[in-house]
Amino acid sequence: MPFFRRFVDLFALGSETPILRLVAYYAGLGLVILTLAYFFPESERLLLGRGSATPGQTPLILEDGLTPAPTPSTLAAGSLLELAVTTTLVLIGTILLMLPVTWVYMSARHVPGHSQAVVQTLIILPLVVAGIVLIVRDSLALAFSLAGVVAAVRFRTNLRDTRDVVFIFLSIAVGFAAGVQTLAVGAILTITFNFVMLLTWRYDFGRNVLTPTAASKWSGPLASLANTGEYDAVPDRDLVLSLSPQSADSLAERFERVSEVLGKRKKPRYTSVLSIRTNDVSDAQPLVEYVLDKMARRWKLDEVVTNTGKPSEVYYIVKLKKSVTRDEFLTAIRDNAGEKIEHVDLESRDAEEEEVGISA
Amino acid sequence: MKMFSAWAIMIAATLVASACDRRGKIGEEEAAELENRANRLAARLAGNEVDTTESGILARWVLPVELKEISGLAVTAKGNLLAHNDEQGRVFVIDPKRGVVVKQFMLGKGDLRGDFEAIAVSGQEIFMLVSNGTIYRFREGADGESVSYTTIDTKLGRECEFEGIAVDGPKQLVLLPCKNVSKKGPKGQLVIYRWSLNGGPSQQPTMLTVPLTLLIGPNGWKSLHPSDMAIDPVTKNYVLIAAQEKALIEITADGGVVSAGPLPEASEQAEGLAITSDGILIISDEGNRKLATITLYRWPFQTAGTSISSTAPADTTR
Repeated sequence: MPFFRRFVDLFALGSETPILRLVAYYAGLGLVILTLAYFFPESERLLLGRGSATPGQTPLILEDGLTPAPTPSTLAAGSLLELAVTTTLVLIGTILLMLPVTWVYMSARHVPGHSQAVVQTLIILPLVVAGIVLIVRDSLALAFSLAGVVAAVRFRTNLRDTRDVVFIFLSIAVGFAAGVQTLAVGAILTITFNFVMLLTWRYDFGRNVLTPTAASKWSGPLASLANTGEYDAVPDRDLVLSLSPQSADSLAERFERVSEVLGKRKKPRYTSVLSIRTNDVSDAQPLVEYVLDKMARRWKLDEVVTNTGKPSEVYYIVKLKKSVTRDEFLTAIRDNAGEKIEHVDLESRDAEEEEVGISA
Repeated sequence: MKMFSAWAIMIAATLVASACDRRGKIGEEEAAELENRANRLAARLAGNEVDTTESGILARWVLPVELKEISGLAVTAKGNLLAHNDEQGRVFVIDPKRGVVVKQFMLGKGDLRGDFEAIAVSGQEIFMLVSNGTIYRFREGADGESVSYTTIDTKLGRECEFEGIAVDGPKQLVLLPCKNVSKKGPKGQLVIYRWSLNGGPSQQPTMLTVPLTLLIGPNGWKSLHPSDMAIDPVTKNYVLIAAQEKALIEITADGGVVSAGPLPEASEQAEGLAITSDGILIISDEGNRKLATITLYRWPFQTAGTSISSTAPADTTR
């Protein structure tokens, strides 16, 4: 969809921030709708609902209940045209409302990867629902027929993420809103939904603060794996059963690299992991590294995780000087790079060992 | 991109064609058709044109979906028809001779909700009745206007359930026929309360009762549940309709029965009634499975129901 990309780029001034791009899209869409409503006031009925003919649209000529219309062909053509225009606009409106929902679905996810089938369903399903509602309209008989037909078709699809179900429900709701020609409700629904989804993703809303870090999560199993003593050791026969030759090789390679980093001596070369969260990696890095140079015996940049729309993460492995405490180190980083970073933390091996000891 | 441009051009062309279609050709045709309608109705009313459809029917208009549950009708001094549905405080002004919704206006700032049952006009003032006896009093507004209103609590909601209202302008009386009389109310009577517009909120409204036996006569109704009422502008008689019994009744202002008979067969569920000064009786029929209609009949009916001689009416104070 290069057109929409350019359209959004135009309004978002080239920004890649999802929230800004979403705002830009809706601003552009609002502009188009206002223009349409200005030149074609009839299109307002699509937004406000066909059942609520607003005052101010009079006069309205009533159908003659005794004699047929004088020029049925003209009137029929007019109503057919109106039907075609209405249906087309409803379907286009549905697509325009669902596009940003698919963008949010594809980008703002905690679980990596997404299902292409779901993305396409999010576009197609509301079109179908809108079409069905347009056909059924106020007919109870058609509604019952529809229920009968749907009951005859069995749907059973497992979705990977429970949040996918919410997206599907949303697409059905938008389809209904479009079908009853109250696109305004669909628009408000999708706008609210999209921003709420983006914000919950942006701020990791609902994350359990007690969720263990990677270090504490893995330290126990790794220690027992490495333990060759009589107790707490994972027997080799268990590894034989659980690992394939490929995964054993992969693990061996990784442990080799870790071993090199840690060093071959009794004492490890690095004892802590410094994690930084920042919106400006290039500016924050030299400021943090300045402190590292001053206060760490040795350090090494381990990984930079770049995120779009939310802060990036920078990880260092560090061995602090003996004279430097954890608090002093973190204070120095905050003093030096506080304006450029959002969060800083230092996890050290000693603390980890204590934690493992307590849990054991 | 090319495909999208093609779509955009096609939609724009369709919209322009649709707009031009509405604003130009159809408009002229509609104007001619409206004039034709008025002429046809005038000819039928004058008896120059033989009714080819249903006996006595001058015209019938199919109402918009907003009036599917039409509840009340009233005629203004200008000859326009006021109509409303039974859920919203929104009044539709209809030109009954041409079949055009001239304008709409609303009560209050938004859409006022309530169980609106009937509407009546007296001079410049309009009265809308809620089934519990509360009356909304207001004046006609411009198209799309929200008009202010005052309410009159007749406190008659416990006495009976109302579906009709009429206003006797010269006497400043609001007439409220009971659809269902409470258990404590008079038995076997058609009851019409008379609420004085000058009497204040603590007044004791008078009550006009007509024995049902006089009205039912040979019609075979088990009871009578009036769904609306109007005052004949010529004779000043009270005309009532009952949807349940499909009855049309005419009584004098002091309770004498003029006629009582069935509604025309064309009427399915008569919920509203109005009579114009040039002899047109208008009945609104709620659309159960289809859209509602208003039907215009020549009044008085040539073959109206049984004429029953007037008997002693009961005129009491509650």
